[in-house]
Amino acid sequence: MDYSKPIDAELFPEGCERCSLTKFTGWMAFLGVFFLWGLYAAVRILAFGLGETGMDDYFGFGLWITLDLAVIALGAGAFFTGALRYILNIDELKNIVNLAAVVGFLCYTGAMMILVLDIGQPIRCWFGYWYPNVHSMLTEVIFCITCYCIVLILEFVPLVLENRQLMKNRFIHALAHNFHVYMPVFAGIGAFLSTFHQGSLGGMYGVLFGRPYLFREGFFIWPWTFFLFTLSAVACGPMFTVLVCTLMEKITGRKLVSWEVKELMGKVGRTMLLVYTVFKCLDSFTWACGLLPVEGLTFDQMFHGWIYGKWMFWLEHALLVIPLIVLFIKPMRQCRPVFYLMLFLVCTSITINRYVLTVQGIAFPVMPFDRWYEYAPNWAEWASSILVISYAAMVLSLAYRYLPMFPQERELNK
Amino acid sequence: MSAETKEFKIKWGMVIDIDKCTGCGACMVACQAENNVAPAAVGGNKLRSLNWLTVFRLSNRKPFPDHEVAYLPRPCMQCGKPSCVAVCPVIATDKREEGGIVSQIPPRCIGCRYCMASCPYHARYFNWYDPKWPGDLSQALTPDVSTRMRGVVEKCSFCHHRFMKAQELAVSQGRDPYDLPDGAYITACTEACPNGAITFGDVNNPKHKVHELIKSPYAFRLLERLGTDPQVYYMSKREWVRREGDNYLENEKTGEPLKKLG
Amino acid sequence: MDRRGFLKFAAGGTAGLVASPIIWNTLYDAVYWTQNWGWIPRLKKGAGEYLPAVSKICPSGTGFLVRTVAGTPVRTIGDRNNPVTHGSITSLAASEAELRVSPSRIKKPLLRSADGAYNAIAWAEAEKLLKAKAAAAGKSVAAISGDPTSCTNEVLSAILRAKGSKDFYFMPDEEQPALAAWTSMGGRGRLGYDIENSDCILAAAPVLESWGVVAGNRAAFNRHHPVGAPSTQKLIYAGPVQNNTAAGADLWLPIKPGTETILMLGIAHLLIKAGRNAADFEHGYTPANFKEFADLAAEYTPEKVCAATGVPAQRLEAAAAMLLDAKAPLAIAGSELGSGGGAAPVMAALSINMLLGRIGSKGGVVCLPDHANVVKGAMKYSEIMARPLVSYTQDVASGKKPAPAFLFIHAANPVYALPSDSGMKQTMQKAGFTVAVASFFSETCAEADLVLPATLGMEAFDDVQTPYGSGRITYAFARPVVKPFGEARPAGELYIALAQELDVQLGVKDMPDLLYQHAFALGTPFRQMMEKGTVFTADSAAPLPKMKFNVRSLKAALSAALPGDAPVLAPVVVLGLGTAATSVPPFAAKTVTDYQICGKYSVAQMNGATAASLGVRDGDGLRLTAENGATAEVIVSIFEGVMPSSISLVAGLGHTAFDEFSRGKGTSVVSLTGITREPGTNLPVWGTAGLKAARA
Repeated sequence: MDYSKPIDAELFPEGCERCSLTKFTGWMAFLGVFFLWGLYAAVRILAFGLGETGMDDYFGFGLWITLDLAVIALGAGAFFTGALRYILNIDELKNIVNLAAVVGFLCYTGAMMILVLDIGQPIRCWFGYWYPNVHSMLTEVIFCITCYCIVLILEFVPLVLENRQLMKNRFIHALAHNFHVYMPVFAGIGAFLSTFHQGSLGGMYGVLFGRPYLFREGFFIWPWTFFLFTLSAVACGPMFTVLVCTLMEKITGRKLVSWEVKELMGKVGRTMLLVYTVFKCLDSFTWACGLLPVEGLTFDQMFHGWIYGKWMFWLEHALLVIPLIVLFIKPMRQCRPVFYLMLFLVCTSITINRYVLTVQGIAFPVMPFDRWYEYAPNWAEWASSILVISYAAMVLSLAYRYLPMFPQERELNK
Repeated sequence: MSAETKEFKIKWGMVIDIDKCTGCGACMVACQAENNVAPAAVGGNKLRSLNWLTVFRLSNRKPFPDHEVAYLPRPCMQCGKPSCVAVCPVIATDKREEGGIVSQIPPRCIGCRYCMASCPYHARYFNWYDPKWPGDLSQALTPDVSTRMRGVVEKCSFCHHRFMKAQELAVSQGRDPYDLPDGAYITACTEACPNGAITFGDVNNPKHKVHELIKSPYAFRLLERLGTDPQVYYMSKREWVRREGDNYLENEKTGEPLKKLG
Repeated sequence: MDRRGFLKFAAGGTAGLVASPIIWNTLYDAVYWTQNWGWIPRLKKGAGEYLPAVSKICPSGTGFLVRTVAGTPVRTIGDRNNPVTHGSITSLAASEAELRVSPSRIKKPLLRSADGAYNAIAWAEAEKLLKAKAAAAGKSVAAISGDPTSCTNEVLSAILRAKGSKDFYFMPDEEQPALAAWTSMGGRGRLGYDIENSDCILAAAPVLESWGVVAGNRAAFNRHHPVGAPSTQKLIYAGPVQNNTAAGADLWLPIKPGTETILMLGIAHLLIKAGRNAADFEHGYTPANFKEFADLAAEYTPEKVCAATGVPAQRLEAAAAMLLDAKAPLAIAGSELGSGGGAAPVMAALSINMLLGRIGSKGGVVCLPDHANVVKGAMKYSEIMARPLVSYTQDVASGKKPAPAFLFIHAANPVYALPSDSGMKQTMQKAGFTVAVASFFSETCAEADLVLPATLGMEAFDDVQTPYGSGRITYAFARPVVKPFGEARPAGELYIALAQELDVQLGVKDMPDLLYQHAFALGTPFRQMMEKGTVFTADSAAPLPKMKFNVRSLKAALSAALPGDAPVLAPVVVLGLGTAATSVPPFAAKTVTDYQICGKYSVAQMNGATAASLGVRDGDGLRLTAENGATAEVIVSIFEGVMPSSISLVAGLGHTAFDEFSRGKGTSVVSLTGITREPGTNLPVWGTAGLKAARA
């Protein structure tokens, strides 16, 4: 036994250093405090009802749905990177695809946790399969998200099996191998499901013809928001994966993924961002100048006061256009702090987009005699959201410590 | 998008004469009592209080002394093209029965609240907690409408149980249950309005008063231009009231139909 | 383990699980669990009936159908066969089936112990105590009744008279000042208004919400405004706030609170100018003092009236023109609060009716007979009406009159309903023994020594004699169509039994007998009323009085100081908030809007200019200080339908008793007002007050 190493060193990925178990336990305990606080809120909500939240009949959707949409968009790195790696065979991406899969897994399972709280009757959640309404975008979302969540679990499991000690077991070794063989299949299914439900999430809003802020025309049965959501997800997904990776590097002090791979991810995201930004701006323009006047409304009427002010609209667009330009200029892109900042801004813009559609979209009083109301999430919503984030951080910490997520790690830290 | 207007032989509709409504709230009281909606304390959060029918106060937006006031009772519009039905993932709400009433089945509802987000009239309400009838209040529950549970959405049903009762009565008397005489089936709010502001009937049936009333030049529907095709009509001789019923650009005339999209 | 083995394992496991009933049974069970939580009440089934009954808690004595299921009332529904309401129902009466079982309903007799707590006692004990205290009090007994339409008043007043006391009082209402005005102008019997047959009503009273026989007024409004056809009745509403009545009115005359008399005189001025003079008086007489009145009215030029009341000149003229154009115009005055009004506005309104020749005409002012008395020794209705309760309680509080040894409070909540300087609380404290007979645990019950649970109109025999505001004689029985709730007992039977115990000869043996004698006196079909709940109505045959103008009293009343530009309280009454004796019915609580109350604060509505002058904006907190020193924290709401410098608050909030639906919510409007005396008539008046407002 090597006493210079942490006592759980035998479990670490081959040739990788990790901090002491005490330090790690401390870190996990720190996250655990948030986790327990969130758990308390979640238990209250399940025990007493959704009245424990800050939502009301005007804001049936709030922080949770915003968070769900945001993490599902940001977690899109999993399917998109997976598709590029396994289907288009861009080999460099193997260095980050494990992380992308883990992040995707965490985002989707986190979203599922929130959804269990968010629906009023969690015990009836399976009704979506049993009594499906094929006309509803949400049915499609339920189908695809749950299926894709299973796919993500299947993508995550082999990584778990690859733990140094587990791999010593013959059965597990064989199992892991089999999973790997099927990985392109999973990636393919994942790409299909994910594209659809990202789109359907957007479609959910675009079809609401009773809500002028949200309603969009479209192509066949899909409103434009369907395509915008998919595009925005594939743009920000890889960027978010890079950001998570970089954050982990900062926290652990170890190099995990080479700059070239990150830049490649950034370039992939940037290309998708270009497409998204063009369509997003077109959409905003036709909405403001075409669709709204036809509905007897003006662009100005869509905004109100500070919290629902236009600044949010312009900020959302600015945070797409600025990073887009910067990421196309090579010297600026290669300045790493600027690069990371730009990725962060894009993720922020997408999050604002999800917030605006969720909260401001339903805050706009459609009946002229009605008024704007304000919505503020209460502690229980924040706590349960933090529950999910701390859950993700804890699982990611465990995965980093014990699973071979980063093939380049050994090499980069020599 | 996916929801197309369904046509029915019978189309139950309501005509609410805003010029007759003085905002007393008797309709709201009757609705709650009839449909076993649990009460809430005075001063509570209005955005958390279940009101299948709620009365809005309208203003002509002019300063004193030119200010005018009107009251607008808002039940579920029972839209011909309901935004809520298409979006419900579990078919807990549907528009399929003869009469055109948009149903809501609380035991089927999973409580996702997507229908609430879709409804521009805010006609849908969520059970944020389990309903409570403090003390002996539950003794006054009617036998007609099941109590709901927490975590589900509910809304006005045009007192659908009264429709069924009227049909049963017609059958027992050997009459056609699909050709009820005017007044054989009315909602609790219609019955309760002391000013007679609400008229209820089959808008497709020439023998029913509403059939003529909806043709009045003073008749309008809420947010008609969005294309929801509501079965609830309003009436007012005052132009500003009619204009409050929909969104118009400054240069558009009140009652002007929507331009074609695109 | 090879690839095939893995696939076999996965497929076999899945198929086995799906084929077993475990998943499906669990899922179906889950559905039932989520539908049948044990703590959610189930519906009860049973035979249903619709039985005609009347409300004794709605001030207009609304008749309705009580829907019962297995004997329990579940709904109250308008009764289309009712000749008064024609199917109309007020929001208060509509919630009566639920109010019957509300948490504030008193179930058992309650006796206050030394530490102030109330303990339930048996009825036998309560009756014994009642008899002993009443007997021991000698002639020092007094009683207050909040139900002027009931024959139980006769029984109570007969007991008092037999004991040698005349201290029987009604709660202040609209009729007391009106009757004072009516009598002072030569009217006889009671004052009535034929609203149904009028084609143009000028109302300085909330006729569509709380004044008079509201359900009847609403029914008339309904019939005169057929849907989709031209209306046959015009309504002009004068008041400081665009309230529910204003919403139904063709013309709103915004006036400062307390300036109704001036407005009426201004209209009289215009009518006289338009040629309405002595020649137009009908029925072959001319009031001797027409000239004197005309001289007074001549002073009230439109300029002066507009300046004093704040009404726009055009509207004043439009109102006069509408009255002149009408075939059967009618002027009505009352108070916004429903009590505490003066006689002068009614005098002025009656003067307009005289100018228009409307006394005794169809659709005009009606002369109704006094309520008949059938109980031996009972006090006359008009005699009780003539003596204000507040004068008595103020005298007792100040020591001018001895406090009663025994005080009866029947169906009333004077502690809440009267201003703090009415001396009511002190009277109760000074009184030897106070008994509150009530259905709901009110602020008055919380001050009484003994609280007796009384039945509601649908639970016992009682009656509704022509309420104030009616244009006809109406008579309805309250019949026990359902069982009394808890141990509640009929108040009438209780008083008759007490009289028998005290050896007071009433000449009636029980409530049905009392009702029979009343029916007999009116010549109504008793059996039909008893068995089917039919309501008797008849046009009044009382001889027309010779009216004269009461110029002296008007002049005196007009000498009172006018409200200046300082903020003034403008109360609004909404029946959905119940009455003082009921508080807000649980099922009407949701009708209380966010421009009436916000959280636990009353909402003060004012127009934008007023708010600007006070330096506040919509949603700000405001601290109001009334002239009597009372303060209230309120929230500002901008509403342009309020007179400048008027601050509108809804009445019926600020309860300290009753139940969780209304207790501790908002401010009681009455608590902000103080009692003054009306110059000329010396009647106690209240209902408005100057306010100091500061941002909070």
